[in-house]
Amino acid sequence: MQKDATLDARGLMCPMPIVQLAKKVKELKSGQVLELLADDVGAKEDVPAWCSRTGNQLVGTEEEGKILKFYIKIK
Amino acid sequence: MADKMCMVVSEGTFDKAYMPLIMGTTAASMGTEVHVFYTFFGTGLLKKTAKPKLPGMFRLFTGMFQKKMKAVGIPSHDEMVKQAMDLGVNFYACTTTMGLMGIKESDLKPGVKVLGAASFLKLANESNVTLFIG
Repeated sequence: MQKDATLDARGLMCPMPIVQLAKKVKELKSGQVLELLADDVGAKEDVPAWCSRTGNQLVGTEEEGKILKFYIKIK
Repeated sequence: MADKMCMVVSEGTFDKAYMPLIMGTTAASMGTEVHVFYTFFGTGLLKKTAKPKLPGMFRLFTGMFQKKMKAVGIPSHDEMVKQAMDLGVNFYACTTTMGLMGIKESDLKPGVKVLGAASFLKLANESNVTLFIG
């Protein structure tokens, strides 16, 4: 999937992937797509919850083994 | 208007120290305005010198626990309070407890505000979520 930036949150556990995600999103422009890599199982539910609360759009998810990939379009 | 969330912290052990920080940083990351009110044994967590330990016999394992948390990206208590403040989380020390326990405003971490019960309840009344950590 096309992306403008990547945030590698592998190895981090709740709440750090979400905290880092919120910080990273502030650096990006509206319409850009951020790829988030995580391996905390909590992220599977947490990232969609974060997106729905903040109004950023989750445009895709992928799983490669234990790695979760999220594609988030910045509002 | 942004959503608002309040927490009351009444215990000063390691677990009670981290719960509001984890919830608070997450809520702030989700665009929620967060207020955390520390009272009774929780108030000591806001002192510059605070080094919370796990409860009871588990206190002996605090260092090991801290190391495991560091490995998954969760910083020290002091550092996490700073990060939470950077995200806009508000920290308040209960004025009555400060008086009872002899805690001075100058003993508190920079950025911590002092608050009475009525002011906190006003914030809680305006909040969508209020949690009690005790």
